[in-house]
Amino acid sequence: MILITGGAYQGKTAYAQAHVPFAITDGACCDFEEAKSSKILKNYHVLVRRAADAGMDAEAFTEKLCQENPDCIILIDEIGSGIIPMEKPERIWRETVGRCGCIIAAHADSVIRLVCGIPTAIKGALL
Amino acid sequence: MMILVTGGSKCGKSRYAESLFRNRTEQKIYLAAMQPFGEEAHTAIRRHRIMRAEKGFLTVEQYTDIGRADFPDGSAVLLECMGNLLANEMFRGDKIIDCADKIISDIQQLYQRTSLLVIVTNQVGSDGITYGDGTAAYISALGRINQKIALAADKVIECIYGIPVTVKG
Repeated sequence: MILITGGAYQGKTAYAQAHVPFAITDGACCDFEEAKSSKILKNYHVLVRRAADAGMDAEAFTEKLCQENPDCIILIDEIGSGIIPMEKPERIWRETVGRCGCIIAAHADSVIRLVCGIPTAIKGALL
Repeated sequence: MMILVTGGSKCGKSRYAESLFRNRTEQKIYLAAMQPFGEEAHTAIRRHRIMRAEKGFLTVEQYTDIGRADFPDGSAVLLECMGNLLANEMFRGDKIIDCADKIISDIQQLYQRTSLLVIVTNQVGSDGITYGDGTAAYISALGRINQKIALAADKVIECIYGIPVTVKG
């Protein structure tokens, strides 16, 4: 399992695409079951929000995904570097994304962070 | 030589960028893209101009069309900052202009006239907030511009609490 992270528009998708020739599943709109079998899954931070909106336990879902789809490449935006949101659902989402990211990173062989399109391996090796 | 300096707000980017010019002997140019709005901004800019003059920088203001900035060829140039330049280009008319490619081409034009170009930019896409169309387009354009400059740059540095971390070079 590989986790690719970084802020919005830092080149995460382009980096994954340049190194791995699989179709990309979009966590912003895919079926939850589809996520569990996808090779590359992007927008995981949006999938977390959708899971919460659907009344699911996003952290439990993430654990299950890591076990059932251990070769997945997951792309997730870094979203926790701003002001703590005023609205409770936004706060909960932000915290849940952080926890889910930690779960995936713990399972991952590599964690790669992109800044301005440049990848740095913060765990394991680059693609 | 092109160097991109990035990071969040108040992370020591400017101070670090200025330090890259310490040993330069050619003309040093501070290329300022920020448009002053109001008396406070004018006062701050006057103070900064004097501070930079003491460090040997000549300040040149250019809010848009950065490739056309007036300075002697072969100068060592510090451009600050991409966030301001993009806002000036993007919101100059009634409609939002997708100017990422235009800015990249302006930067290439600018770079050809410098001995050293240091560009200070911003990391603005890490707060997870979903913004309205204008701001979302701005974040997207800045991200794309940063990626293209980083690709062309010899060095990319991310400043974190004043500590420069080498991302490239």
